[in-house]
Amino acid sequence: MQRAVEVVVIISLVLVIALLLLLASEYLLPSESIRLLASFYLYATYNPSLPYYTVNSPQAVTAILWDYRGLDTLFETAVFYLAIIAGLALARRLYEESLREGVDLSKSGLSLIVKTVARLTSPMIIAVGASIALHGHLTPGGGFQGGATIAVAPMILIVVFSTLFLIKRGVTSDRMLFIVSLGLIGIGLTAISVFLIGLVVGRFAHVFQNMPKLNSPIGMPATIGNILISGTLWFFNLFEMFAVATGFIIAFVILMLIKGRWEVK
Amino acid sequence: MMVEFLNNYFLMIVLASLLANFVISLYGIFFKPHYIKKVIALMIFSDTMNTFAIYIGYRTWIGGKNPRPPELTLHPSSEALHEFTLRAVDPLPQALVLTAIVIGLAVTLFLVFLGYTLYMHYRTLDLREIKRLRG
Amino acid sequence: MVAETTVYFIMAISSLISVVATYLAIVEKDLVKAVIYSAIQSAMYALLYYLLMAPDTALVYLPVAVGLIPGVLLVLIGKTERWEKDAKSS
Repeated sequence: MQRAVEVVVIISLVLVIALLLLLASEYLLPSESIRLLASFYLYATYNPSLPYYTVNSPQAVTAILWDYRGLDTLFETAVFYLAIIAGLALARRLYEESLREGVDLSKSGLSLIVKTVARLTSPMIIAVGASIALHGHLTPGGGFQGGATIAVAPMILIVVFSTLFLIKRGVTSDRMLFIVSLGLIGIGLTAISVFLIGLVVGRFAHVFQNMPKLNSPIGMPATIGNILISGTLWFFNLFEMFAVATGFIIAFVILMLIKGRWEVK
Repeated sequence: MMVEFLNNYFLMIVLASLLANFVISLYGIFFKPHYIKKVIALMIFSDTMNTFAIYIGYRTWIGGKNPRPPELTLHPSSEALHEFTLRAVDPLPQALVLTAIVIGLAVTLFLVFLGYTLYMHYRTLDLREIKRLRG
Repeated sequence: MVAETTVYFIMAISSLISVVATYLAIVEKDLVKAVIYSAIQSAMYALLYYLLMAPDTALVYLPVAVGLIPGVLLVLIGKTERWEKDAKSS
């Protein structure tokens, strides 16, 4: 009863403050025109008549993330990786990943109906996540969105079956650490790929370059055959998906295996 | 006249509720003694700031048509591009907020592992007890 | 005219529900219920991101703040303690 009174008081406070803010509404309402920088980005993402400023990808947000402001995303991926490594280092000797003898995996976990539904829907979740990640330059999505969606499937499998089910199938934290490191190496190599090609061919090229620019006429291809891949954006999305999904799996498996308050005496 | 007043009032309700979330989560970080409650309040705080940044990038309705998300769906001819820059929402805050969400998520994951280490060392997660027991 | 007011009305309703969910999450003493209230608040924020024409941000926010982070917090609560004690003067 007291909770209900407090909730009503807070809602009425919010409504009254909104009425007071209406008096200053000139500066707080959305305006009709946007900033000059934003209109430049919108005009130049997919524009064949500006060949040295365009990215050839119809999605403006992915083009800003991986081409116009690519260095920010590179360091954000590094920060995510560092957080996983720090969590691993804090839980270093507190878990063991071997199978105990005498554990019957067919009798543990939830009921048979839930297990069958989990077996049916987990490949679907992984397929949808991969589609979101690999179409990141055409539709809303991208590497991080697809990776986070893929990481939901092992969480469901851990809850419905048990953690030992995943470990017995080969999803150990060492292998996942290997795939995370591969993903990050892939992102780093894709970032400097045009520069390396420029060194081999003998022309001038920038380090984080995607399309040909004014003083460096080599770049990644925008289409392969008839399909639009927008240069390095597709490869960035692929490696980011692997890195993010396996990073989440490592965090779950280790968090489920460390000893809780019932096992430590 | 009445319709315009209602539109502006609903937008101001969104801003005032973001402000209320900001104040309540800041109270929760400082005055609640449990560690996990502080982690929840920190997450709410950072998400409220991200929503405020996306609210800034919005645009009004022109001629009865809604603003569009920043993607080009037609072939890039000259008038399609002109229509696109006249109606699409600002794409720059969305890219910056994406990076901010990932960094907040990484900090939360690390705080969860740190909380587990604190529990194993002090046998409690109440920060007043830990302050008394420290050493 | 009517379409614009309807969109703004749904935005206002979802942000008011998020204020209620935030307040209940901070005040609640049972930590499992607090995590569930914070998941409700994140779902309302995801609806707000969709109505503000930011589909990329909604696609990030929905698996992360409604699925993965409450899952990790619930596992941590299961391994440590569940109830928050009263605020006594220290």
